[in-house]
Amino acid sequence: MIIARTIWLTNAWDRLIKQRIICLKGMRNSFATLIVLVVFPFSQILANDDTVNWSVKGFGTLALTGTDTREIGYKRDLSQAKNVKRPWGFLTDSRLGIQLDVDINQSLHATTQWVARDHAGNFFEQNLEWAFLRWSYDDTLDFRFGRMGADLFLLSDYRNVGYAYPWMRPPHEFYASVPMYHFDGIDIKKKINIDDDLLSLKFFAGYSYNQLPTVFPELYEVESPVVGGNIVYQFNNWTARAGYAFLHLLTDGPVDELTDILGQPQTNFAIPNISQIIPHLHIKNTEIHYMSIGAAYDDSTWFAQAEASYIKTQTSFYPDSANAYLSLGRRFSTVSIYTLYGVSQTFHKRIDIPQPALPVPELHQLTQLVDKVINDNEVDQQSVSLGLRWDFHPKAALKAQWSHYWLGNNGAALWQKTNAQDIPDQVNVWSVGIDFIY
Amino acid sequence: MRRIICYLLLLVSANSVADISVITNINNGIDSVSRQKVQDIFMGRSRSFPEGNFALPLDLNPLRSEFYFKLTGRPVEQINAYWARIMFSGQASPPTMLPDEQTLLKTIRENTGAIGYIDSNHVDKTQVRVLFILK
Repeated sequence: MIIARTIWLTNAWDRLIKQRIICLKGMRNSFATLIVLVVFPFSQILANDDTVNWSVKGFGTLALTGTDTREIGYKRDLSQAKNVKRPWGFLTDSRLGIQLDVDINQSLHATTQWVARDHAGNFFEQNLEWAFLRWSYDDTLDFRFGRMGADLFLLSDYRNVGYAYPWMRPPHEFYASVPMYHFDGIDIKKKINIDDDLLSLKFFAGYSYNQLPTVFPELYEVESPVVGGNIVYQFNNWTARAGYAFLHLLTDGPVDELTDILGQPQTNFAIPNISQIIPHLHIKNTEIHYMSIGAAYDDSTWFAQAEASYIKTQTSFYPDSANAYLSLGRRFSTVSIYTLYGVSQTFHKRIDIPQPALPVPELHQLTQLVDKVINDNEVDQQSVSLGLRWDFHPKAALKAQWSHYWLGNNGAALWQKTNAQDIPDQVNVWSVGIDFIY
Repeated sequence: MRRIICYLLLLVSANSVADISVITNINNGIDSVSRQKVQDIFMGRSRSFPEGNFALPLDLNPLRSEFYFKLTGRPVEQINAYWARIMFSGQASPPTMLPDEQTLLKTIRENTGAIGYIDSNHVDKTQVRVLFILK
């Protein structure tokens, strides 16, 4: 048994090395690689010990999602780039995750999780959600080092694990605008038992690297230090939570070409004062403050959950926003029905773009592009959903959900857009799928 | 009311057992644990016995649904969804699943900190230590 296990691990290790060499060639700036290189050999050496327990587990969702519009595309979150002309498909909500856990000894544990899902960035690197070592000082104090989930809200960090929540996907208004799934760094978690209640405090710090789609063909390579903390209180059937995170962006979006053009004297001759717009195109060295509160209730029959967040930024690319949702559901044996209401609103002061002095179509196109980049990032969205979950198997559930969205004027930044003028006022989204664990 | 009906159904069901005993290694130094502590250990909230010794929780496949229903009042689908949340958010690993009583008793004999559960009618107190009885 132990020999078989060791052989398996050795083979898996060889495969990982090979994969890693291939992936390294295409990878940029990858602290994740370092983590994998550190965590795996470490667990491998210790895995020969008789006491080591390891396990491979996973989760997945196979879901068909569609809308009744061909003007805008439905994105599960901002990390996706959707083909607007194909309103139905499996990519939005389907995913497959695999997780390797190794109990190295009683206080040291290694975990790696990789999730295959639709992501506009590097398929291997961006979807490596975790690769961390956890050291438990005692029953109440944990330290983690490596790549880990960003602990920002109640669904931290199981947004990808559909089987673990009732809905088809995390509430769109609250979750879609947070594309950061993980960061590389450390966290410290302290648990305090108060009678039968549990209070948890967490502090985290690290560095996040995310690739996001933009209106340009290139991705926005977001690099940012991140620090934050949260407090969670669990009592009876309740969980209450408050959290805060701070990011300082170190990179600009792919706007160099555009700012070069806008800075040229001849451009400013044709479009007076257009160079004054350039500072608005820079996102580098701006800050993001993320604040959230939430509560969940589950008494086995009834369940309810609500969260609210405020995102304070300094850039028109990602304007200040307030986001919230409330969900209520009831279980009837293995069938649950639920409702969900969500609202998201950005607070963006429109920046006037200077207009061309001459009626030249190319100049007009340029100012339109600048307008789109700077002013077309607003969210004005509400939705109601009705859904059903049937646990037809102890490890699988069938889900169906209907959501009706109301989109305000120029408020569809959580959707894929082609032309800002074509945003429909209302959109229906249907989805049906199976969530499973293995 | 619903819970009472479920209990009644369990009582009349052919597979059901009257009581479930939570057991540990005969050499484990503790005499009993509270219901809350059993819940904490089996739900991944605690990794140790009250005295601080490391606890190794074990699930017994044939008795699992009944054990968790008696312990938490929740059906096994909800327990699985709970574990999916805990496990796939990197917080803790679920108890090791064992296929039958023989394997469970063997594992408990070999590990001082092991904690498992079996049908109370099958408990041999010269072999294992009973920590709690779930009625």
